[in-house]
Amino acid sequence: MALLELKNISKIYGELKALDNVSIKVEKGEWVAIMGPSGSGKSTMMNIIGCMDKPSMGEVLLDGVDISKESQKKLTDIRRDKIGLIFQQFHMVTYLTAVENVMVSQYYHSMPDEEEALEALGRVGLRERAKHLPSQLSGGEQQRVCVARALINHPELILADEPTGNLDEANENIVLDLFRQLHNEGTTLIVVTHDPEVAEAAQRTIVLEHGRVAREVINENFGK
Amino acid sequence: MTKRKMFLRMITASLLRRRSRMLIALLSIAVGATILSGLVTIYYDVPRQMGAQFRSYGANMILLPEGNSTLTMDTLDTALKTIPEENVVGATPYRYVRLDMPSRQQSFTSAGTDFSQVQKTSPYFSVDGEYPEKTRQVLVGKEIADTIGVKVGSSMELSYKNTAVSSQEASGDWVPGASLTGSAEGFNEAVLTVNVTLDENAAIESIEIDASSQTENIGALVGTDPVYLKQFIGKTLPLDGEDIDALAGATISSQAVVDAVNTARSTENAVARENTERFEVTGILSTGGEEESYIYMALEDLQKLTGEEILDVAELSVSAGAEELEEYSNSITGAGLGISSRLVKRVTKSEASVLGKLQALVFLVTVVVLLLTMICVSTTMMAVVSERRREIGLRKALGASDGSIRKEFLGEGMFLGGLGGLLGAVLGFVFAQVVSINVFGSSINFQPLLLPVTVIVSMAIAAVSCQLPIKRAVAIDPAIVLKGE
Repeated sequence: MALLELKNISKIYGELKALDNVSIKVEKGEWVAIMGPSGSGKSTMMNIIGCMDKPSMGEVLLDGVDISKESQKKLTDIRRDKIGLIFQQFHMVTYLTAVENVMVSQYYHSMPDEEEALEALGRVGLRERAKHLPSQLSGGEQQRVCVARALINHPELILADEPTGNLDEANENIVLDLFRQLHNEGTTLIVVTHDPEVAEAAQRTIVLEHGRVAREVINENFGK
Repeated sequence: MTKRKMFLRMITASLLRRRSRMLIALLSIAVGATILSGLVTIYYDVPRQMGAQFRSYGANMILLPEGNSTLTMDTLDTALKTIPEENVVGATPYRYVRLDMPSRQQSFTSAGTDFSQVQKTSPYFSVDGEYPEKTRQVLVGKEIADTIGVKVGSSMELSYKNTAVSSQEASGDWVPGASLTGSAEGFNEAVLTVNVTLDENAAIESIEIDASSQTENIGALVGTDPVYLKQFIGKTLPLDGEDIDALAGATISSQAVVDAVNTARSTENAVARENTERFEVTGILSTGGEEESYIYMALEDLQKLTGEEILDVAELSVSAGAEELEEYSNSITGAGLGISSRLVKRVTKSEASVLGKLQALVFLVTVVVLLLTMICVSTTMMAVVSERRREIGLRKALGASDGSIRKEFLGEGMFLGGLGGLLGAVLGFVFAQVVSINVFGSSINFQPLLLPVTVIVSMAIAAVSCQLPIKRAVAIDPAIVLKGE
């Protein structure tokens, strides 16, 4: 069964159709990239998958459950329990240390556990930077903290929005390597990007244009 | 780590690591709390403070002997025990007696009192020179001083004549052949004396009048005018007003002669006591009132002159509210000491009315300050929320419910409220102290209860002020954290 299935969803803002009858399926454990130029509907789709918005029409099945009609509160619960988010601008709480930022995610999810949070930081190679404030970390380090934060609650789906958009190549590679590790562990990944290199790292790329799925590309080099 | 610990860690981190913005909120709460606790302190201390101020208008309670009973220092002390000691600003005994000044052949009303108390119950007394501190020193009213020309450092002789020596009526002395002496006040309160001898029928045989204290060539003529004097011969006592025709132009002196004759006693019974003392004038008293025509001396000095220990009146200055005063007054009157207590209404009434107005004003200012504090805190928190929009969005994206967001901001607000309240309670006391010293000229007592009250009120105000900003925070869309926002 697919982990995520969008069935004929549309999102309409007045005259504008941000998404127009889109259907996609993402299997459990799959790594999918979503590409498209500005205004193609990427952000809208990301919002809907991230349970931060609802489609005007159509169904969104997450783990077989239709979440397209759920209340805001229920969507928050689902997002917290099933989805790990990674953002282009990292978004850390500026006055909390790296490890505290990871613990914030635990705090809302279940119980803060400093040891576990430190382990997660260790996984992204930042254990010794745990007590640093975001302002004392480089961009790449911040994004790695955000990856640690996204995976701390073992989400079924990691949703990344231009995760390497603000990083240099070296850090981009570190983040992509982390994604590979997660993928190998069976985590489902959806990465929204306009960077072909990042897209090529995924198993499959869905290209959006004018609110529609223009094409899907299977990455034949995946895993090579 | 528990959720509570993480909650506190987040809040303290937010406050400690984002100092500048939070300092403004903290400062506004602290200022509000300072004014609050300061004004509340003053509000409760005003009656005490103003009470002391009002006491400068003089006594507000008067004690008098009731009916035939006498007032003495002992009964006064007993009466004072019914009032808490710290409320008694002063209690001044007074004994009024007329003393003669032989050198000028004049007599003046003299008051025996306790000068240390006078300064408390009549702070408006203005003394040129010093209050007497030793025995045989007097404070002379300005009017008398001007009349007789005494100055600070002058000395004056005062004497006390006890005329009513025998409890027996004067008529007991009207026996045939008696020789009687009497005196009475004539014109300008000057005393004239008469000597009368009675014949075998107890009628007046001869009369001598010393009227040299009366006005020359007018009143003084009663002592020499043969026609006037002749009228007395052969009359029996007591003289009736119609028996004697007054000397033309000297009715007061003439009446005094009649009074002196009617109260004249036989020589062996008369003037049993005449004490004279020399006093040093240490100060001249001006008050603008009747006190200027009195001579004040220590009560002990006057008692020595008169040989009596009674008081005429005691003036009390009591620092208390109108109701308390009424209570004290009633308990003194009802204590069975033979003392009746009266309140000086014009003082107590105006005190109550001014206090009421002052407290209302302080209350109003407090309310306004609290409102301003709320507006200030609310505005600051609003700015904090808009500054932290992304963070709030992130928290929501990470799964924070509306309740969590609300709790976190309320937590921060109340933490600030508590801290600001604590700071304000301490600063407020300092503020009240400064106001008190500058305005009322006296220090203030710290009210321990005010500390928790200020902290709790500040927290409540912070909580109320945070409501609108929290509403804003909760309404923030988590999608804000995605690109394109």
